Amino acid sequence: MAMTHKQRILAAARGEHLDKLPFGARIDVWYNYHSAHGTLPEKYQGWSQTDIIRDQGAGAQYRFFSVVKEEYQDMEVVEKHDPPYITTEYRTPLGNVAKKEIFDTSEGPWIKYEMEKLFKSEQDYPIVKYVMEHTIPVDNFEAFYKLRDEVGEDGMVMTAAGGLWSPVQRVMREIIGYELFFYELADHPAEVEELMEVMKDLDRRKFEVAMKCDLEIFNICANWSDDIHTPVFRKYFVPWFQEVCDLLHAHGRLAMAHTDGEMRRLNLFFRETGIDIAEAITPAPQTLVSMKEFRRELGDEVTIWGGIPSILFEPMYSDEDFDAYIKNMFQEMAPGYRFIVGMGDNLPFDGDLNRVRRVVELIDRYGTLPIEV
Amino acid sequence: MVDLSLLSQAIDEGDREKTVQLTTEALGAGTNPQEIIIHGLQVGMAVVGEKFSDGEYFLPDMLMAARAMKAALEVLKPSLEKTGIPTIGKVVIGTVEGDMHDIGKNVVATFLSGNGFEVFDLGLNVTVQNFIDEVKEKKPEILGMSALLTTTMPVMGKVIKALEEIGMRSSVKVIVGGAPVTQDYANYIGADAYAHDGGKAIPVCRQLLGK
Repeated sequence: MAMTHKQRILAAARGEHLDKLPFGARIDVWYNYHSAHGTLPEKYQGWSQTDIIRDQGAGAQYRFFSVVKEEYQDMEVVEKHDPPYITTEYRTPLGNVAKKEIFDTSEGPWIKYEMEKLFKSEQDYPIVKYVMEHTIPVDNFEAFYKLRDEVGEDGMVMTAAGGLWSPVQRVMREIIGYELFFYELADHPAEVEELMEVMKDLDRRKFEVAMKCDLEIFNICANWSDDIHTPVFRKYFVPWFQEVCDLLHAHGRLAMAHTDGEMRRLNLFFRETGIDIAEAITPAPQTLVSMKEFRRELGDEVTIWGGIPSILFEPMYSDEDFDAYIKNMFQEMAPGYRFIVGMGDNLPFDGDLNRVRRVVELIDRYGTLPIEV
Repeated sequence: MVDLSLLSQAIDEGDREKTVQLTTEALGAGTNPQEIIIHGLQVGMAVVGEKFSDGEYFLPDMLMAARAMKAALEVLKPSLEKTGIPTIGKVVIGTVEGDMHDIGKNVVATFLSGNGFEVFDLGLNVTVQNFIDEVKEKKPEILGMSALLTTTMPVMGKVIKALEEIGMRSSVKVIVGGAPVTQDYANYIGADAYAHDGGKAIPVCRQLLGK
């Protein structure tokens, strides 16, 4: 009996040898945009994403955040919705902190952006710490299982124990904000490090809950790129990833990172982390790293998922350019084990959906494993 | 007489306190503030930009240098009221509509300022019309646009088209950048230049102005 898309993706993730390359495609940016604007192709009007990807012949790749939700104790959390803005105020015995986010999927991307960060100044450290210490992780398994059932064997629902970020990254990107984080790390290192530890403790409690979910792959960190800063990555990120990977591996689970940025510096440290899958790998021309370099630098023990920069789906590239790119990528990844064809990281709103089918056809013709050079 | 190379070094090290101290000393010793900027601060910023592009420095190193530069300019500000900060060109810069990412754009803006450009930073989520209005009003030599998403990068092409439609395309050089943007894409939408990172943006902008 033929393997399903899900089985093939999981097998490649575990390093098992397959007969041909698996393919997990992400089209949510394209789908959200065209659904919101009523511009889905006529054939696909009213179709779900999974059905469209199924029709294109690829495996589906979904995002879901996450199998653990946050609840709060000993504080009041007030959320105000003024679309597309959401303001959340945390009222604690130590004082109040607030953030303002924007959330609108109509242009494609569906993540929230913080217009105003929770942390504003040095006075906020104890309050933010209080918020994190009094955040209670609870399971959100039912919502995940519902989506997983909908996708079935036609693909994978990628999810996490927490949100988008690993703990230190959450402090950097979501809580303090990138630029201020580095200024604070220079000016108040002890306070920043203390906040990182509080965030790690919260994530440890999240993993305790999440391990009860029969999830095969945990996305433990998203949106890697060189701007994370190699020294910070080595000092603060790597030990955390090692701790989490040890936990996941002890329970027979796999760890994945969404590594869709410029990776020329972080690649060197990837293997130290113990993470099994580098997902949404985005090579040249969108970054400075070729697939051959990714394979060499990440080594044979890491599964690479990705390889097609989203810009390749844009109309500026002809079908011939696209085919030539894909065929060359297969050659660069030879013999092709521990490789799942995918996007870095999504089909753009003005991208050509039918190139998803084109990838499927190219895999049928040139993606038989082992690929011979 | 303060050795301005020490000031460049302080910028290179991202040492805000030392930069402020040396700037204050140089000013106190009677050094012309424009000399301090051109031969001290800007030399340091150029070194940092080169080291970033060469892979020796990281984005935070650029941020720390830019912060030190900004603090030094604050010290010099009262002395520059009459002459103003010496500039080599005007740049209007922003992240395009629908895009909430501004780290890269901020670094480029700060570095351009630190390297002698007069920068008008429009922030993020900037509409096509807003870009056009600012180009009309500020009359910059360079328009810089940034996009981090494949969803938003087509807006850069729309701005270029809008400039063509109002007959202003030839009056401003357009430089684009951001994670998904490539040289091919810059060519495709008709931009004049592309910079892969903040370090490269400075020499590319200088080249655009022939300086």
